[in-house]
Parts: sequence; C-alpha cells; structure tokens
Amino acid sequence: MIDRRRLNLLAVACLGAFAFATGARAADPVTIGAVEILTGPNNKYGVAIKNGFDLALGEVNKAGGVLGAPLAIAYEDSAGNKDQAINAVRALIGAKNAPLILGPTLSNEMFAAGPIANQRKIPIVGTSTTAVGITAIGPYVFRTSLPEADVVPVTLRTARDRLGVKKVAVMYANDDAFSKSGYDVMKAALEKLGIETLTTETFGTRDTDFSAQMTKVKSVNPDAIVVSALVEPAAGILLAKKALGIPASVRVIGGNGLNSPKIGEIAGDAADGVIVGSPWFIGKADPVNQKFVAAYREKYNSDPDQFAAQAYDTLFIVADAIKAAGAADPEKIKDALGKVKHTGVLGPFSFTPDRDPADTSGVVVIEMKDGKFGLLQ
Amino acid sequence: MTHALDNFLFTYQSLIYALGINSLLALSMYVVLAIGQLSLGQAAFMGLGAYASALLTAKFAIPFPLALIAAAAVPALLAFVIGAPTLRLSGVYLAIATIGVGEVLRIFYLNWDYAGGALGLNGIPEEAGFVWIFGVLAVALAGFAAIARSRIGRAMEAIRADEAAAGVMGVNLPVYKLAALVVSAAVAGVAGAFNAHVSSFIGPNEYGFDAAVTILSFALLGGIGSPFGPVLGALVLTALPEVLRPLHDYRLVINGLIIVCVVIFLPGGLLPWRLSRIGAPR
Repeated sequence: MIDRRRLNLLAVACLGAFAFATGARAADPVTIGAVEILTGPNNKYGVAIKNGFDLALGEVNKAGGVLGAPLAIAYEDSAGNKDQAINAVRALIGAKNAPLILGPTLSNEMFAAGPIANQRKIPIVGTSTTAVGITAIGPYVFRTSLPEADVVPVTLRTARDRLGVKKVAVMYANDDAFSKSGYDVMKAALEKLGIETLTTETFGTRDTDFSAQMTKVKSVNPDAIVVSALVEPAAGILLAKKALGIPASVRVIGGNGLNSPKIGEIAGDAADGVIVGSPWFIGKADPVNQKFVAAYREKYNSDPDQFAAQAYDTLFIVADAIKAAGAADPEKIKDALGKVKHTGVLGPFSFTPDRDPADTSGVVVIEMKDGKFGLLQ
Repeated sequence: MTHALDNFLFTYQSLIYALGINSLLALSMYVVLAIGQLSLGQAAFMGLGAYASALLTAKFAIPFPLALIAAAAVPALLAFVIGAPTLRLSGVYLAIATIGVGEVLRIFYLNWDYAGGALGLNGIPEEAGFVWIFGVLAVALAGFAAIARSRIGRAMEAIRADEAAAGVMGVNLPVYKLAALVVSAAVAGVAGAFNAHVSSFIGPNEYGFDAAVTILSFALLGGIGSPFGPVLGALVLTALPEVLRPLHDYRLVINGLIIVCVVIFLPGGLLPWRLSRIGAPR
C-alpha cells in the first residue's frame, strides 16, 4: 500500500518535471533579472515598478518578443535592505545567468549592489535611483530615472519666473540619504538662480512635530518654502504650516519625495499649492501616455505613478537594446543600451555617454489642487 | 565544473561573509550575556569599528591589518570609558544606557560630513576576504571555548547565576564586568571592520537599534550556555532568509514562523548545554 502510494508520487513528480522541462523548452524565453522592494515598508515603490515592467512585458511579447523568443523577468525581493539587494543581484547573475539586471529600487541599494554587477560586467539599469553618483559606480551601471540634479533646477526656475519667488526658507531631513542628497541639489540650484536662502532648518525623517522649525520659518517671512523630504515628514510640514497660519500664497516647493498622490491623502487641503517637478505626469495629453494610463488602470484597477511610468519605458528601452545587440550577451547589450533612442510616456529618451538620461524636455512642473496634481497654471 | 563552482561562490559570496561576520557579532553578545548583563550597544561598537577602519583605509590608505587593530581598539576604548559609570547599572537599565550610546553615535555620524553624513561612506576597498573573516572567527571561538572551560568561565557563570553570591565568594565583580564589556566591544568592532570591507558602502542607519536587537536575537536563539550556541544562532538566522528565497512572497512569513517555533519549543536556545570544565569529573 505504502509502496504504491510512493510509486504514484514518483510518477506524478516525473510527469511534473517532464511537463516543466518541455514547457521551458517550447518557450525558451530570454530572461533578464529584476531586484525590487516587493515586501516591507517601502514596497509601494517596488510593486508600482513591477506593475510597470509587467505591463510593458506583455506588450513586448505581444509584438513578437526579442530575438525570436519571449522576454521574461525573474524578480527577486530586496525588502529595501542593501545586503539582500547584493544577495539578489548575485543570485540573478550567478544562478540564473541573467544578461541584464533591472533595479534595485533605492539609491542606497544601488550603491551596494551596483559594484557587484559592474565587477561581473553585467549591465544594471536603475529605474528609480535619483541620487548623485549612481552611474559613477562603473561603465555597466545605467539609469533611466532623471536625477534630482536635472529636475529640481527646472522646478525652482519655474517658481522664480512664474510666481516671482525671490527669497525662500529651506527645510530638509538630515538623517536620510535621499533627503540630504536632494538638499545638496537644491542648495546649488538656489545659488545658481540667485534666489536668497533666509534660513535652513533640519529635522529627522521619523519626526512628527515640526512646529519649532515652522515658527522659525514664519518669522523670516519667505516667499516660498523649499522642502527635501520623504512623503510622511513632508505631509507633517504642510500640516504644521497650515496650523501656524502661514498664508497659502507662501508655496511649498518640493523635491521628488513630495511627488506622490499620498501627500494629498495625508495632508488634505493643507497640501494645496504644493509645487514639484516630475519626469512624468498622469495628465500628459500625448497618445502614448493616454494609452499607458488606460492600459494600467484596466490591468491593476489603480492609477499609475511616476515609478510605474519609468519602469514601463525602461522595459521597452531594454528590449530595444537586446534586439539591437542580436544576442543575450551582456557586453553587446551594454553597448546597444548606449545607442537606444526611444520615445515613451516620459518623452524622448536616450543615454548620455555617462549613462544618465540625456533629455530633460519631459520634465513638467505640477501643483496640488483639491488633493490632485495638475499642471502648474 | 569549476565554472559551476565559480558561479556558486559568486552567488553566495556575500552570504558566506555575512555568516562569518554575524557569528563574530553573536560571540561579542555572548561575552556580555555570559556574565548576566544585557547590553544593546553591540551594534554601536560594530559601527564604531566599521567607521574607524573604513576611514583609515578609504581616506588614508592605511593597510587593512592596521585598520583592523584600530577597529578593535577604538570601540574597546569607548567601552572602557563608558564602562565605569554604566556598569553600576544592571539588567534593563544597562540595556537602556547602551541604547543611548548607540543613538548618540548614530546622530554623530549623521552630522559628521567628513565621514559622508547621511549619505554614508562610499568606496571602501574590499580587503576582507574568506580567510580573514573565518580565521578570526576560528581564533575567537577557540579562545572563548577555552575561557568558558577555565576558572574564568566558572566565575562568569557564577556571576550570571547570582551576582551577590559570586561577589561574596571572592569574584572581583567590577573587573569581570568591565573586562567583558571591553572584550565584547573589541570583537564587535572587528566584525564591523569586516562588514565595511566586504560591502564597499556603510551608512549611519545600519548600526542602529534594529541591528542591536538582531545581534541579541542571534545569541538568544542559539542559547548562551557555551560560545557555540550564539554562533549557531547567527548561522541559522543569517542563512534562513536566503535559504527560503525560492518561497518568494511567503519567505518572511515562514522565516518568522521558524523563529517562533524555536522560541516556544526550545526556550533555552538551540544549544542550551554548557561546556564542562577542563579536568573536572564528568
């Protein structure tokens, strides 16, 4: 009795293995790797990115895939942890032989995992890493996300020219790499544009009370408040600004951290008037973008954000590079990536010789109104 | 075959290093727990070792072995200085004081622009390898095992069991406590130096409260009867998330479940037994 059961099990296992093997042979896809935050507190970024990849992947494969085979993505979770990001990149390269890696999600993870891929001569393409110095890691490290250094000056120049902002107060979180690096960019841009900084206030990313800093800001009477922070503390700042009665005509100008619909959800009408620069905007009228937004809503029942949009474009760019390379060979793909020209939802795209995005014409300045972002009027 | 082995080593290289480094951290925790003290400053000592050695190699091009000595000496010195006042505290009060030390250091790194501030320290040479990490681990493990089986080990166990009684029996309490803290700080500092020199990047938030609790959990999961328990705990807790990687979304759930099961069914840890004393009748 036991023997027969065991035999049955064995038969089922063999069948399963056979089905798996033949299935794999029939498809034989070109598999690239992706390391994103799929679990843990920051997984909203990673999940949006994965959705963007998957949506584009479906369209690439519907149009015939790459190199006569379907394209596939092997996902690994980094949980937002740099050690896990390293392990994930190593696993994708060593065990899965991925000829290209997408991700990781955070700049910190890229600083840790990028050198691994670079050392092994595997191209790695960040879609959401905006910090200074990412592509300086090495010749195999690319990014499709516009660095803050390209977006923030556009935002500040627009604020100066359109709203007459001449003197500002600056606030930033000094205990988190993203906010600090955004502040460095803001400081340089403010100086270059000749906008006067009246005071610079700092806080911690996990702080919840900003009344001390806001009282100081109120006393210097700025035209606008420039903020570099992640969504949660930024929302706290907006609420404190309203509570202290700083008039709505004093705009809050934010970095990429404030470029999230969540800011309106948390801060409510206190978020009205927030200005940010964005590489992408859901309301962009061009047909490519409209098609993307409609397809995303249909598939995931929610609105795409900029991370999904960047991921969506990136997958087409990578697919183009693999096609142009003519083989799933890391060296050839790396060379082909540098020559790709693609027009997607973010606008025209190509890489600079330093492997950063070359074109900043897609940057739009948007403002929050009634809980929704719209183009700055 | 060599290609497959090469791929295997490449895939798991960071994990193998982490196994060794975390084992060292577990040992540093063991030294303090072995005399019945609860310190949550191990992560701070580790961070101090990491920053001290990384600054020396990355900014001054000092050879790695010398930086390693600094990585042991700087945290040991700090432990010596803070040891005198804090070791009057015991139990949860010492834990709170050591958390404070960790937070002070974290804020210090955040505001120290020379060491990268919030952006962290980049471009640390990858000097620490397999031989360094596991060589030091073997020496430390052998050393602690020898101590545990000696007169000193018995005295430490006596302090853990009943501090007052041990004092009355002639165990010099302040000396033992201070020595344990200093040695544990030095070991944690060396582990920090290895950590910095295998991953090329360190940041201030890596050595905070979370890391301190993780290190404590290594020792508690393994059991603190002998130095081998904490090392086993570190190996298990470090390897589990990677071993369970094929489970994808369920990986953290199963990981947590295994830890909960161990705590419920093996409250003394995985290896609760103590080593017998050299020459003692069995």
